[in-house]
Amino acid sequence: MIDREKPMVEVRKVHKSFGDLEVLRGIDMQVKKGEVLVIVGPSGSGKSTLLRCINLLIQPDSGDIFLEGVKVNDPDIRPEWVRQQIGMVFQSFNLFTHLTAIKNVMLGLTKVKRLDGLEAEKIARYELERVGLADKADAYPAQLSGGQQQRVAIARALALNPKVMLFDEPTSALDPEFIHEVLDVMTKLANEGMTMVVVSHEMGFAKSVADELIFMDNGVIVEVGVPEEVFASPKTDRMRAFIGKILG
Amino acid sequence: MGGEDASTTLEGRPGTRSPPSSRSAGSLRRFDYSRIIKNVAIGFGAAVASLGVFVSLGLVGVYDLPYALSTLNALKLGAANTLTLIGIVIPVGFSAGFTFGWGRTSHRWLTRSISTVYVEFFRSMPPLVLIAFAFLISTAVLLGIPGLADRIGDPNSFAISVSVLALAFHSGAYQAEIVRAGIQSVPTGQREAAEAIGLTKARTLVYVVLPQMFRISLPALSNEFASVIKDTSLLSAVGILDLAYMAQNLSSRLIISRGNIDNIFLVYVEIALIYFVMTFVVSRVLQEVERAFRVPGLEAAQL
Repeated sequence: MIDREKPMVEVRKVHKSFGDLEVLRGIDMQVKKGEVLVIVGPSGSGKSTLLRCINLLIQPDSGDIFLEGVKVNDPDIRPEWVRQQIGMVFQSFNLFTHLTAIKNVMLGLTKVKRLDGLEAEKIARYELERVGLADKADAYPAQLSGGQQQRVAIARALALNPKVMLFDEPTSALDPEFIHEVLDVMTKLANEGMTMVVVSHEMGFAKSVADELIFMDNGVIVEVGVPEEVFASPKTDRMRAFIGKILG
Repeated sequence: MGGEDASTTLEGRPGTRSPPSSRSAGSLRRFDYSRIIKNVAIGFGAAVASLGVFVSLGLVGVYDLPYALSTLNALKLGAANTLTLIGIVIPVGFSAGFTFGWGRTSHRWLTRSISTVYVEFFRSMPPLVLIAFAFLISTAVLLGIPGLADRIGDPNSFAISVSVLALAFHSGAYQAEIVRAGIQSVPTGQREAAEAIGLTKARTLVYVVLPQMFRISLPALSNEFASVIKDTSLLSAVGILDLAYMAQNLSSRLIISRGNIDNIFLVYVEIALIYFVMTFVVSRVLQEVERAFRVPGLEAAQL
């Protein structure tokens, strides 16, 4: 049973500047447990920065981040503790190139959760199987296709049993033929009840999987709604222009 | 608040799944000692072969074999001292290079500045000048401070030790730049990914950055080691009885005793052979280390 009322992640009045550039200008959003939130917006709109604020890879200048009601951007809370509960998948996969697929997945288990090698390996094999790569456990990243690398990256994040998964344009760096295999894994995860925040311009994925869609531009949230409705009848000119562009 | 313990991690996990395959993924060590031994053997093989050629040339009268044999004791002492110098200069130089190279990548202004000053100073001096400065300054300091020389004991060996360190730091400055380039060539995305799974900065460095840094830096480091082995010959300038010193000494004796001046050439051929063998063995071993840690799929294409 999923308690759909409890916010898993809540972002309140978050601001972030890099030098003179204000990238996030007062963001408020929340994701409930088991919900999938898709964020779209032109490049430079602050989507990636927002994701990185949620797992504290970037510290917000002001505002609060809550994980299951606990304020996490707090000096008393170790960011490492927050991050191991939030999985993150990157646009450029970022696998550790000197380690095999299974070792990539095991690193967090042995060095963060401090499981022994055998236990970590068992979990890592299970996670690789979940993303359909059980047979590639001993391959190095350079021996895998982009789609396979991204699925290993998803397994690596899942291995720590996260409460939320963040996806930062997970298919943008992929050749078209590999996009669907990554989206399939993500859809399966969503169906299993994983809470997900996805920055992506995959409209098909947003429409079929997302519970909510946020359109960001220039560091603010311009429009929020059910994906089907937002795409069909955007309320703002900026959203309309953006949809026009991504539909080509 | 801390991390979850193992039992909660395994919640909903396949606790009773089939056991992992007997070939543990953790045991994929590709380090093959037999190949290292083979390479050392090749080094000594090359030494024996060249010695064979050298001796046979002597036997057929190309050079003065009895004289060559008479130098062996002096050269043995020189070789032993040169090996000692290598044994000091490479580890000290590497430690300095690693520390300051890492310091060069620090986000702290002071650490970065100190490391940069170190690199620029020691890299911009001819090693011979550095050695001379080290010797002269340490001698001057020792004699300038009353009573210090007596406490240290042998002022000459103190000054010589400082000179050896000066050469090590000179090599360290080059190695620092190699290490810095190695650290900086690890993509920042990988560090971000490591931090995203909850690794601390220190653990990210140990498990993600350093293993890749060493792989990237090894060819350049081998180059620097090969170079500094021969640079130890500069230490003969402060009176260390290494191979180069022995060569100069034997040459002067030939001149003073009005011996056959052609044999000066012979002496230098002998020490050249010894330096060659030392460098060759070290290069082959490092080449093997490089091969052992090569990452499949990342090999450079053969042109």
